[in-house]
Amino acid sequence: MSQERVIIVGGGLAGLAAAVRIAEDGVPVDLFSMVPVKRSHSVCAQGGINACNEVARQQGYSEYQHFDETLYGGDYLADQNPVLEMTNWAPKIIDLLDRMGVPFNRTPEQNRDLRLFGGSLFKRTHFAGATTGQQLLYALDEQTRRFEAEGRITKHEFWEFLWPVTVGEGEDKRCVGITAQDMRTMQIRSFRGGAVVMATGGCGLIFGKSTNSVICTGGAASRCYQDGAWYANGEMIQVHPTAIPGADKLRLMSESARGEGGRVWVPRKKGDTRKATDIPEPERLYFLEEKYPDYGNLVPRDIASREIFDICVNQGMGVSGQNQVYLDLSHMDPDYLTRKLGGILEIYEKFVGDDPRHTPMRIFPGVHYSMGGMWTTYTPGSYEPRARHGVHNPGDAAPVDTEVGRGMELGAHNNMMTNISGLYAFGEVNFAFHGATRLGANALLSCIFDGLFSGVSVANYVRDGAPKSDPTSELDQGVFDRVTAQEQSKMERLLASGVGDSDPTDPTHNPYAIGHELGVEMTAASTVVKTGPRLEQCLTKLDELTERYQGVRLSDGSMWTNQTLSYARAVGDMLILARVIAQGGLLRKESRGSHYRTDYPDRDDPNFMKTTIGRFNPDGTCSIEFKPVRADLVEARARTYGGSSKSKKSEPRQETVATS
Amino acid sequence: MTATDGPRQSHHLLLRRLHSLSGLVPIGVFLIFHLTTNASVVWGAANTRMPGEGLERGVQTFQHEVSWINDMPGLLLIELSLWLAIGFHSILGVVYAVGGKPNVGAYKYPDNWRYTLQRLTGYVGIFFIFYHVATLRWGWSFLVPGGTVWSHEYAASTLAAALRGSYEGFTGAGIAVSIGYFLGVTCLVFHFANGLWTSAITWGLTVSEKAQKRWGMVCAGLGVGLMGAAWMALIGFLLTDPVDARALEEGMLSGAHEVQAEQDEGAIGSAEPGREP
Amino acid sequence: MAIAYAHESTADQRRANRTRAVEGRTVLCRVRRCDGPGKAGRWESFKVPVEPGMNVIACLKHIAQNPVTVDGNTTTPVVYDAGCLEEVCGACTMLINGMARQSCSCLIDEYAPLEGDTITLEPMTKFPVIRDLWVDRARLFQSLTRVKAWVPIDGTYALGAGPKESPEVQQDRYDMSECMSCGCCLEACPQFTIEPDEASWDTSFIGAHAISQARLFNGHATGKELKNDRLDELMNPGGVSECGNAQNCVKVCPKGVPLTESIATIGRQVTIRSFTRFFSGK
Repeated sequence: MSQERVIIVGGGLAGLAAAVRIAEDGVPVDLFSMVPVKRSHSVCAQGGINACNEVARQQGYSEYQHFDETLYGGDYLADQNPVLEMTNWAPKIIDLLDRMGVPFNRTPEQNRDLRLFGGSLFKRTHFAGATTGQQLLYALDEQTRRFEAEGRITKHEFWEFLWPVTVGEGEDKRCVGITAQDMRTMQIRSFRGGAVVMATGGCGLIFGKSTNSVICTGGAASRCYQDGAWYANGEMIQVHPTAIPGADKLRLMSESARGEGGRVWVPRKKGDTRKATDIPEPERLYFLEEKYPDYGNLVPRDIASREIFDICVNQGMGVSGQNQVYLDLSHMDPDYLTRKLGGILEIYEKFVGDDPRHTPMRIFPGVHYSMGGMWTTYTPGSYEPRARHGVHNPGDAAPVDTEVGRGMELGAHNNMMTNISGLYAFGEVNFAFHGATRLGANALLSCIFDGLFSGVSVANYVRDGAPKSDPTSELDQGVFDRVTAQEQSKMERLLASGVGDSDPTDPTHNPYAIGHELGVEMTAASTVVKTGPRLEQCLTKLDELTERYQGVRLSDGSMWTNQTLSYARAVGDMLILARVIAQGGLLRKESRGSHYRTDYPDRDDPNFMKTTIGRFNPDGTCSIEFKPVRADLVEARARTYGGSSKSKKSEPRQETVATS
Repeated sequence: MTATDGPRQSHHLLLRRLHSLSGLVPIGVFLIFHLTTNASVVWGAANTRMPGEGLERGVQTFQHEVSWINDMPGLLLIELSLWLAIGFHSILGVVYAVGGKPNVGAYKYPDNWRYTLQRLTGYVGIFFIFYHVATLRWGWSFLVPGGTVWSHEYAASTLAAALRGSYEGFTGAGIAVSIGYFLGVTCLVFHFANGLWTSAITWGLTVSEKAQKRWGMVCAGLGVGLMGAAWMALIGFLLTDPVDARALEEGMLSGAHEVQAEQDEGAIGSAEPGREP
Repeated sequence: MAIAYAHESTADQRRANRTRAVEGRTVLCRVRRCDGPGKAGRWESFKVPVEPGMNVIACLKHIAQNPVTVDGNTTTPVVYDAGCLEEVCGACTMLINGMARQSCSCLIDEYAPLEGDTITLEPMTKFPVIRDLWVDRARLFQSLTRVKAWVPIDGTYALGAGPKESPEVQQDRYDMSECMSCGCCLEACPQFTIEPDEASWDTSFIGAHAISQARLFNGHATGKELKNDRLDELMNPGGVSECGNAQNCVKVCPKGVPLTESIATIGRQVTIRSFTRFFSGK
C-alpha cells in the first residue's frame, strides 16, 4: 500500500506552514498553487505580527490579554477556544520564525524590536522592515524548498484547483483528493490525498478592485462551497479606510498620513473639473472636520471609511465624479513630510505619479480582508472556566496559563476541518479567528498558527483517521475520473461558448465586463455601509449577472495557457460566493464589527451573536442559517474602545481595524 | 546537489582565478615595464647623461634601456613564460568571452559599456600582440610595410621605420600600422586597468560599493598614466627620424663595440641595417 | 537591435514625462505575442485610452476586455503573469521598451506621455516563453535550491528564540531578503543566457539573485552551517566566477538589493574557502 499523501491547495503563509509541519511529521505533501508559492498574496502584508513578548509581559501584558483584545476587536463573533489557543502560541511562533532567519528589526541590544499597533496599549507587534508578510513568507518558502529538495514536499506550481473529490453524502461525506488544471498545458487531472487542506486566501476580487492580489478570487472556496462545504460569516469584509485607487487595483496608504496632519476633502461643487491645487480654500469641503469638529480628520477608521464612502457613493461628490476623495498633505512642510512619511509618500508617487508633498493624494476605502471563509470546527481544549471571565485589565493575573491545549486540543483530527471530513481550511479562507473584524497584525499570526497547530491534526487524521481504514490509494479510479470529466466538460462548454461569433467587446457576455460589474455592485452594496433595500437590489443585480454569465463568451478558445478561461470560470464561482456574502449581510439585521447596517445600527447579541452559515443549494441559491457562537470563556462587552465617540483625541490609534 | 569535490569544480575555479591572476602577473606587470621603457624615448629627453638634446637624448636613453633588458640573464625564459601567460590568458579569455552576450543596446549603463569594451579590447589586444611580437620580435618582416626588421641594437630607428613604413618617410601602409599601434596599445591599457579593477571584485578585495568606487579611481588613475606613457612613446617614435636615430645608435654601438668587440659580429654588422639580408 | 525604442527610461526622464503627460490621450501598446513554445512570434498593436495614473497592467486589462488590434482584427486577450500589483511579488516582470521591469509599477505617463506614443511590451528573453508575455522562470527558483538558500533549523517544535543579531546585520540581511525573485537582474545580465534544457541549469551561470541569497544565509548564525556547501556550489561551473562585472544587475534591481556587493562578498568567501580547502583538505 502506498503511503497516504496530503494535498495542500495554496502556497501562502498558511499553506506553507502546513506543508512544512506535515512533511516534518513524515507525511508526504503535494502542494498546489496557481503561482510560484513565493509570489503568494501573503507578500503584501506590511505591518507585522502580534505576540506577547517579555517586555510587554513585564508591563502587564499577557497572552490572555492578546486573546481578550482579539475577541473584543472581533466584536465577539469568533468562537473563543481557537482564539485562546492561537494567542497562546503566538510567542512560540515568533521564536520559530526567528530561528528560520526572518530579519526581524532589532534593538541596539540585539533583541527583537516591537511596535505599537491598533487594538492594544502595549507594544506587541514584531516586524521586519515594511514588508513583514514578505519576510515571513520567504522564510517558510525556504523551509518548503528545503523539504522539496529532500523529496518530502512535491510542488505543483501553476496548477489551479478546480474541484474537490469527495465520496459519501451528508455526515459521511469525505474528501479524498482534488481535481486541478495545469494552467500552462491545460491538462486536467485528479490527485488522491488522504486529506486536503484549503489555504487559498481571500476573495477580494469579488469586490473588483481591492488590496488583494489578482489571484484572490475566492474561486477555490466557492468550488468547495458548491460541493457542500459551508461558508461562514461571508458578510464580514474588512475595508481599509485609506487605499490608493489605481486603474488596476487598490494599494494601501498608511494611516499615518492622517496622523501626521493630512486633511480629507472634496470640492464643494459636484463634478468640479479643476485641479485640486486650483480650488481655493472656501470651495473645499472638509467633510470630516465639519461633521466631527472634535476629532476632525482623526475620527476612528470605521467612521472615516463610512463618511468617505457616503460622500462618494451616496452623495456622488467624489473627486472627478469617481469614488475618491483628497487626502491632503500639501499644506505642510515638504521636508517635514519627507522626514516623517518618506517611505509611504514614495510608494504613492511610484504608483500614482504625483508627489503628495505638492499634490493632494486621492484615496478611497478599499476591501482588504475577509474575516469570513470556509466554516471549520475543532476540539475544545482543557480550559473550561466555571463562569465567563469579565473585563481583563492590564496587569491582572490571567485566569488560565499558556500550556498547549488550553484552547484547542493539539492533534485532534477535526481541528480546522470543514463539515466535509478530510477537508481542512487554513488561513484567510478559514473563518475561525477574527470574528466580525480583524485586529491589525493578527492575520499573519492566524495563518501560521493554522499551519503549525492544525497541521498536526491533518497528519494525525491521515495516519489514524479514515484514510487509515480506507486508504484513498485503494479507492476506485472512477471516483476521481468522474470529477475530472465534470471539469473537462465544464471547460469544453466554456471554450465552445462562441469564440469569434460575436463582438468581443460587447459587455453582455464578456467575462471581464461581468467581473467588473460584479465588483462595482458588491463594493457599493456590501462593504462599508449596508442597508436592507440596497442588499436586495444587489441580489437582483447578481441574478442579472448570473443570467448573463450563462451565455458567457470567451474571446480566447485556445487550449494552451488560456487565462481567459481560468478567469471566466472563476467569475462564475465568484458570482455564487457573492450571493452568500450579500445574503448573509441582508439577513444579519444588526451592526457588528465591519458589518454596518444603517437600518440596524446596533449590535444584537441575543439574535446575532451567531455564526452565519451559508449552504449551497443545487439550484444555485443559498440557504443561510445562524449558529450560536461558542463563547464560554469571556463575557461579551460593548466594543467602544474607551467610551463613546467623544473621548480623547488619541483614540484612532487604538482603533482595531489596522493595516497588515 | 552536485558533489563538492568533483574534478570539474577544482579546475573550474582554478582556471578562472589563474586567468585573472595571469592578467595581472606577469602580463600586467610586464605591460607597465614595457610601456615605461618605450616612453623613455620621450622622458629620456630629460636624461642629461646622454649627449645631444631633446629626442636625440630620448633615442639614446631608449637604446640604453633596450640593451639593458637584452643583457638580462635568462631573457628567453622570461619571454617564454610571458608568451605562455599571454597565450593562456588569451585562449581562456576568448572562451569566457564568447559565453556572454553583450547587451549595451538595451542597457546603456557606463558599467555595461565597460564590460563590453573589456571583451572587445581583449579581442583587439590578441591580434595586436600577435602582430607586434611576430613582426618586431620574431622578425616576420613580410608583415611589415617596407619590410623593416626590428633590431635591439637599433631599437628606435628600426621601430620608427616600421611605424613609418620606410626609412625615408611615412607611407600609406605605414600610417595604417601606426594607427593600428595606437589602437592596440589603447585597448591593452584599458583592458589592463579595467581588469585590475574587476579582479579586486573577483577576488573579493573590494566588497562595498564605496570600496569599489575608490579602487576604481586608483585603477582609472593608473590607466590614464599608462595611456599617457603609451601615447607619449608612440608619438615619440613617430617623430623620430629613423635615419638620424640610426646614426645615434651607430655611435652608441661603436662605443659598445670597443668594449665587447669580439661579440656580435654577424647579425647586423654585415647587412644593410634593418633590411633583409 | 531590431527595435528602436522611443523613450529612454532614466528616472529623470520618466519624471519629466509625467509632467508633460496629456490628458485624454490614447497610447499605442505594441505587444510581442507568441501562441506557445516553438511557435513563431508576432507583433500586435492596441490603441488604449489612457486614464490618469494608468499602468501597464491596466492597459493589458483594457485589452483583455477589448481584444481588437489597431487594424480592427479581433484577437485574444494578452497572456501575462501578474500577482500582487504592488511590486513585491515579482510576477509581472516583462520588457517594457526593451528593458526588464515590473509592469505594475510602470506608469503610462512616464513612458508614453503624448498622444499616440508607443509603449512596447515583450516577454523576458532569458526564460522560455510559455505564451505571449508569460515566461517560465522555474530555473530561477531552482537556483535557490542550488545554493541551499535556507536556514537548517532542527524543526518546527518550540526550541526557544533564534540567534541574536545586531541591527546592522539585520539591516544588511533585510536588504538582501527583499529580493522577490523577479529575474530583472538575470534578464539584464550579459553573462546569464537562456537555457531551455533543464539538464544544463546546474552548470550554467546561476546569476546575481542566487549569489546574493547565498550571502544572505551565510550571514546568519545558523544559516552559516551550510556555508561551505553553498560556496562549493558557487565554485562550480556556473558559479560566482562566471560573473563578468557588467553590474547591470544592481542597476535594474527594483528592490535595490546590493547585488554587486553580494557578488564581491561571495568572491571573497570563495577565495578564502579555496585556500582553506587546499591546505586543510576539507
